[in-house]
Amino acid sequence: MKLRRQSLLTEPPASATSDIAFILIIFFLVCASVQQEDGRPQEIPNSDKEQQAKNPIRVNLERDHVKLNGEVLAMKTFQEKVGELLAQKVNEAEKTVSIRCSPTVPYQRWMNVTAWIEDAGGTIALMRKVQ
Amino acid sequence: MSADVPAMAMGDIAFLLLIFFIILARVTDDSHVKVNKADGTELQKPQSKRVGIAIDTNQITYLNGVRINPDMISDALYKPDAPSGQRGLLGDQPPGQRTVLLKIDKDTPASLFEPVIEAVSKAGGELHHVLEERN
Repeated sequence: MKLRRQSLLTEPPASATSDIAFILIIFFLVCASVQQEDGRPQEIPNSDKEQQAKNPIRVNLERDHVKLNGEVLAMKTFQEKVGELLAQKVNEAEKTVSIRCSPTVPYQRWMNVTAWIEDAGGTIALMRKVQ
Repeated sequence: MSADVPAMAMGDIAFLLLIFFIILARVTDDSHVKVNKADGTELQKPQSKRVGIAIDTNQITYLNGVRINPDMISDALYKPDAPSGQRGLLGDQPPGQRTVLLKIDKDTPASLFEPVIEAVSKAGGELHHVLEERN
């Protein structure tokens, strides 16, 4: 008597491959769309508005140093002094800090300095040269 | 006589439809823009995600994933004189819904990112700088 040998390899049904592809695409789509968008909100008043302070605190931001009302300061001293100056101001309009930034200052440095000012209660106003 | 649609084809049709919608969705997506984010502390989630502006490592500016001349950003966001419905991406959105996500490469010079920030401010956008948590 001859025994029928059963094949060990069983092919998966072809109709399942499209379902697998579908699931894989959904997986990669979900992975790709989960982007971190956490960050810092920032309020910069519209430069056209007339609510700018008459004597704002002036900051000149350069690539290698920072000036507060014309005085060159180390970063740590700047952080302390800007906090002291803002604490002396009473109303919101006086808490405007106008920043004039050198064109070569990188974004990371700009973010650090503006974050310190905002954390101390200041409102940023951009001062740019009209080209 | 009736001809049935083969059930096998349904998966392929679904697959093609999905590819189509993915491509369509990516037009307004800026995940293809390469940015080394700046870092910061006390980060928050954005209020809304209507508009995204990015400046990539090659210092190219994108609005909702599409390359744009930085001088055109203000008009693209808000045109107060245009008829209703054509007033730009921010249009007549109320405060709280005017968030503009800024994804700027950390080495971008101020000469490039300051005009963008000014344009958003002029258009009445609410800035949200996308950053990485500082360790």
